[in-house]
Amino acid sequence: MRKTDRILQVEDLRVYYKSIFGDVRSVDGVSFSVGSNEVFGIAGESGCGKSTLVEGILRVIMPPGYIKSGKIMFKEKDLLSLEEEEMRRLRWTELSYIPQGSMSSLNPVLKIEEQMVDAVTSHMSTPKEEASNMAISSLKEVGLPLEVAGMYPHELSGGMKQRVIIATAILLKPSLIVADEPVTALDVVVQKGILQSIANLRDIYGITVIFVAHDLAAHAQIVDRLTVMYAGKIAEIGSVYDIFGDPLHPYSKLLVAAIPSIEKEAVQGIPGLAPSPLDWPPGCRFHPRCPYAIPVCPHDEPPLKEMSPGRYAACHLLG
Amino acid sequence: MSSTVEKQSTLRRSLLGLATLLKTSRMLRVGLGILLVLVLLAVLEPWINNYRLGGHKSIEFGIYERHLPYSYEHPLGTDLFGRDILALQFTGLRYSLMIGAVAGSIATLIAVVVATTCGYLGGKIDAVLNSATNAVLVIPALPILIAIATYVRMDLQLMSLTLAIFTWPWAARTIRAQILSLKERGYVELAKVTNFNNLEIMFAEILPNLAPFIGVGFSYAIIGTILAETGLRVIGLGPGEIPSLGLLLNWAIGYGALSQGRHQMVLAPTTFLVLIFISLNLINVGVEETFNPRLKKITGM
Amino acid sequence: MRYLNPIRSRFIMGKAQVLRYIVKRVLIYLITMLVAFSIVFFFLRLIPGDPVSRFTRQIEDRYSFRIENTQEIIDEYKRKFGLEGDLLTQYVSYLRRVFLEFDFGPSFLNFPNSAQSLIMRRLPWSIGFLTIATLIAWGIGIVAGTFVGWKRNTKIDSALFTVALCMNQVPYYLLALVLVLVFAYTYGIFPLRGAFSATLTPALTLEFITDVLYHATLPALSLILVSSFGWLISTRALTITILGEDYLLFAQAKGLKKIKMLNRYVLRNVLLPQVTSLAMSLGFVVNGSYLIEWIFTYPGIGTLLIQAVPTLDYNTIQGIILISIFAVLTANLIIDIIYPLIDPRIKTGG
Repeated sequence: MRKTDRILQVEDLRVYYKSIFGDVRSVDGVSFSVGSNEVFGIAGESGCGKSTLVEGILRVIMPPGYIKSGKIMFKEKDLLSLEEEEMRRLRWTELSYIPQGSMSSLNPVLKIEEQMVDAVTSHMSTPKEEASNMAISSLKEVGLPLEVAGMYPHELSGGMKQRVIIATAILLKPSLIVADEPVTALDVVVQKGILQSIANLRDIYGITVIFVAHDLAAHAQIVDRLTVMYAGKIAEIGSVYDIFGDPLHPYSKLLVAAIPSIEKEAVQGIPGLAPSPLDWPPGCRFHPRCPYAIPVCPHDEPPLKEMSPGRYAACHLLG
Repeated sequence: MSSTVEKQSTLRRSLLGLATLLKTSRMLRVGLGILLVLVLLAVLEPWINNYRLGGHKSIEFGIYERHLPYSYEHPLGTDLFGRDILALQFTGLRYSLMIGAVAGSIATLIAVVVATTCGYLGGKIDAVLNSATNAVLVIPALPILIAIATYVRMDLQLMSLTLAIFTWPWAARTIRAQILSLKERGYVELAKVTNFNNLEIMFAEILPNLAPFIGVGFSYAIIGTILAETGLRVIGLGPGEIPSLGLLLNWAIGYGALSQGRHQMVLAPTTFLVLIFISLNLINVGVEETFNPRLKKITGM
Repeated sequence: MRYLNPIRSRFIMGKAQVLRYIVKRVLIYLITMLVAFSIVFFFLRLIPGDPVSRFTRQIEDRYSFRIENTQEIIDEYKRKFGLEGDLLTQYVSYLRRVFLEFDFGPSFLNFPNSAQSLIMRRLPWSIGFLTIATLIAWGIGIVAGTFVGWKRNTKIDSALFTVALCMNQVPYYLLALVLVLVFAYTYGIFPLRGAFSATLTPALTLEFITDVLYHATLPALSLILVSSFGWLISTRALTITILGEDYLLFAQAKGLKKIKMLNRYVLRNVLLPQVTSLAMSLGFVVNGSYLIEWIFTYPGIGTLLIQAVPTLDYNTIQGIILISIFAVLTANLIIDIIYPLIDPRIKTGG
């Protein structure tokens, strides 16, 4: 990927949580880059740190969490070095968010229209009328009728609320949208529709999307490139064809093999339990569950190496 | 499954839980600390006063000269009957806490019985008892207490009983709410599916989690009873020979302490009362904070 | 893909639901009042002694002549005070008189004035003073509480919160005593007693109103200084909870200006439950204030109660208790009915 194509570059980001037991190292040294006009996936089990990672990128980490170190280069600016007000101005105009808890992300006492207009008027000096029209056309774009604008969040179904959030996210035509588990809580039919909307963001509007989900099958449907996370670190990065066709990291291999399909005879799982963030295993964090572990694995953490242009993996087996 | 093993683990769990509580909440520690000091003063009062007053009781008239100002022997001076004011405060503290503890215990007992019946059995019984609790809550306790106390000769037990009758709804509400929320939690369902019977579930699963809330309920009951008792005393009602802090206040007002500039007669009981309420409240807030960590000032600390 | 809009039909059904809800609430209200009044009735009847003979003795003492306690006279008085017949008859007539005729019976204290006329004369002072003091305390508490909650975990938060915890625990009457001691007795800044100076006649003049406010300052302060901290504590807790909600996270991610977030996302969600609590506390505040009134000899129902008790004015005491119960229950009922109307989550039949 040429350097000018990169819209986001994360360098050794660490996000920790303070607790009485010490620091919980949720994101423990993550580096990757995202190209413009692509859908970039972040996959991994629950608890691997995906949500914390994107919350860190957006700088919405709430205490007791805090960003320990790292750089987040967005369009050549380090987000972590920005002042509060500068960051606020970037928000939504360049960088928007579809959060994990979409169901509860809408203010229960405001109408949909009011909440969307708030996003507009906080950044531009558009008069209310015009902002309102922007909101309504945004709702139309995600397939919602204009009556929704005058309703309260509790009057909408889960799928509708999800679409409202998406509509809000595209209001100011940002360059990058981060979507955190946008389809996890929805039924399969609605899922398809939402996934299509997200793909449209890339295809029709040229927006870059970071798509976080634990369901690999969802990634397969819309992402261009993805990274697989495990235990707070990156296991592998590659294009969707690479990861699904020829996974390098043992974890990715097991994940892909675990996807049920009509052709497979039995469902294969991954042995063992996900480790606790309070107590990451030493050396390579996957080694307790890895069927291919070699003697060096429990001792040294494998570095993330570029195997071929755009293809990264962190495993001792790969040299 | 051996029942002695179960019982031990319940006790152990409760104790461990208590230890964690203490470790995690500074408010709880401060509150308990203050309360402990006050309770110690109250419990040791007979010996303290015996020593300081040379064998006399604090309420005896004429032990010392009247109207003495602050001094080393009399840190708060003496009143118009020649009594050491500080000694009076200790006695007052003792009786106030005693009444609070006794009445509070009765109230908490009633509350626990009512709340567990309601909460656990649910359904119609819950609805009826709940309405009854609300009806009692609505009745202003003070006027009725005033009315009763004027006409009926109160002794310590009767007074505690009457106070308890009006304070139990507050504790009952807290406990019932907690039982209801516990019922929904998974592990009670789990225990039901296994072979525990109702009583065992109550003891093994619900009580350890309920214990801190019964403590909070007890705390509220004590606050309520001491509040009510003091209120009655300030007006002059209740057994006159039992000098709780409220009665000391009534005496102070009656002796014209305000106009004579003997402020300490009013400020001393007030300070002790305020300390009692603050410490109990800190304990309550500490316990509640622990169970709703978002309220905590510094998380995990 | 267009979604069908079933919302409209839900709203129409909502109207019938609302009506059912109101009816149910009113029913519970009346039943609770009935139960509470009955408990009061039986409780007061437990007090030993015969009020009629006490009463006649009182008349004797006061007017220095002997009454022949003939059965006739006793019966007459018994009837007047609703004490004839057995317990059940008394109970029924009591209920009838109180509910249907709003008659508390004659007052022993000021016979033959009726108890309710006595109470009614004093009630406005109590209600006026208490309502205004509570409203002020609420206002201060909410503003301070939101501010402190917003600035949670900072020095100013810890400081104010600790002060609030301590001050909130001081009973109103204790603070009243301290205030009277310092500001009235020692420094003479504020008056000691009464609602207005004896030299003035009640009239709607500026002078009179200023005088009333002047007299009400210390009593009001006793209430405000304690309860505003209580409101601070609850508002702070509420604010902190709201700040942890997902929609606040989303609001921040949207890059909203802080003021807008505070206003539309925090404050509105704080106000709803707090307005409910306010209405409820307006009902309850009658309780804690009796002693404040007594300390300041404020002409409200609190002082009336404390006067009525030693003079054995049975009916007045009962009347005051009943009024208090009525106040609390009615306040609750009003909130129960109004709240669904202001909370958008319930308004639209959701």
